[in-house]
Amino acid sequence: MERRNRLNIIYDILKVIKAKGEIKKTHIMYQANLAHNQMKGYLNELYEKGFIENTGGKRPLIGITKKGADFFQKYAQVREFEKTFGL
Amino acid sequence: MKIVFTPDWFLGQDVMINLFSFLILGLFFFFSVKNYKISKNKRLLYLGIGFLLIALAELSVVLTKFAIFYDTDVTQSIGRIIITYDVVKSLDIIYYISLFFNRFFTLLGLYIIYRLPLKRISGDFILVVYFIIITSLLSHNFYYIYHLTALIFLALVTRNYIKIYRENRLANTGIFIVALCLLGMSQVMFILSNLAYIYVIAQAVQLISYITLLILIMRISKNGKKKQAEHNL
Repeated sequence: MERRNRLNIIYDILKVIKAKGEIKKTHIMYQANLAHNQMKGYLNELYEKGFIENTGGKRPLIGITKKGADFFQKYAQVREFEKTFGL
Repeated sequence: MKIVFTPDWFLGQDVMINLFSFLILGLFFFFSVKNYKISKNKRLLYLGIGFLLIALAELSVVLTKFAIFYDTDVTQSIGRIIITYDVVKSLDIIYYISLFFNRFFTLLGLYIIYRLPLKRISGDFILVVYFIIITSLLSHNFYYIYHLTALIFLALVTRNYIKIYRENRLANTGIFIVALCLLGMSQVMFILSNLAYIYVIAQAVQLISYITLLILIMRISKNGKKKQAEHNL
C-alpha cells in the first residue's frame, strides 16, 4: 500500500469533517486512520491555517471553515488531475 | 520545395485548428502549474512543461502559416520583380526556423510526457534531445521522418497510459488514451499528406483529438467540484 503524504492526510481529515458537518476528535482519528499524536499535530496545523474551527461550545466538536472547504475543493481537483495522468 | 501540404482552399481553416490546439494545450499547462502550486508534486510541473512545449510547437505552426498568407499576398501584388524573390527567400528562412521549432518542441514535449510515469530517471535525456534535434533537421528534407517519430513517441505514451488505466480504471484516463490514439492516427495520415485531401482529413482528426482533450479537462474540473458537492450532502 502506498504511503499517504502530508497533503493527502490533510485532505482525508477535511473529508471526514466535511462529511459529518461536526465531529469529535476521536472520530477523526478512527475515520482518517491516524495515531493520536499524529492527529493532534495535523489538527493544530489546520486550526492555525483557519481550515477548521470549534463548533461545539463546551462539547469538543470540530467543523470546517469556508477557507477549509475551498482548499478541499481545490485539492480534490488536484487529486483528480494526478490520478488521470498517473502522477 | 513545398514545405506545408495545406491545399490553398484549406489555408486559414487549418490555422484555426492549430490555434485551437494551442489554446487547449495552454489550458493543460495552466492546470498543471496551478495544481503543482498546491501539491508541490514536481511531476505535475514536468507534465505542464511537456504540454507547454507542444503548445509552443502549435504556435510556431500558426506563425508559419501566417507567413504563408503574407508570402501569397506579396507575390500576387508585386509580381515577378527581384523584391519578391528576396521576400520569399526571407520567408523560406522563417519557414525553416519555425518548422524546426515546431518539430523539436513537439517531439521534446511528447518525450517528457512519455518519461513521466517512469519512476526511474536514467541519464539518456541529452542523447534523446540530440536525436530529436537530428530528426527535426532531417525532417526538412524528409517530412515523414518527423511524423513517424511523433507516431512512435505517441505509441509509447499510449502504452504507458494503458498500463495506468489497467490500474486505476478511471474514465478520464480512458479519454486521454482515446485522444492519444486519435493524435497517432493523424500522424499516420500526415505521413501520406502529399495528397491534399488526406492532409485535410488528418487536420480534422487532430481537431477531434483536441476536442477530446477539452472534454477531459472539463471533466477533471467538474469531477473535483462534484466530489465536494457529494461531501456537502
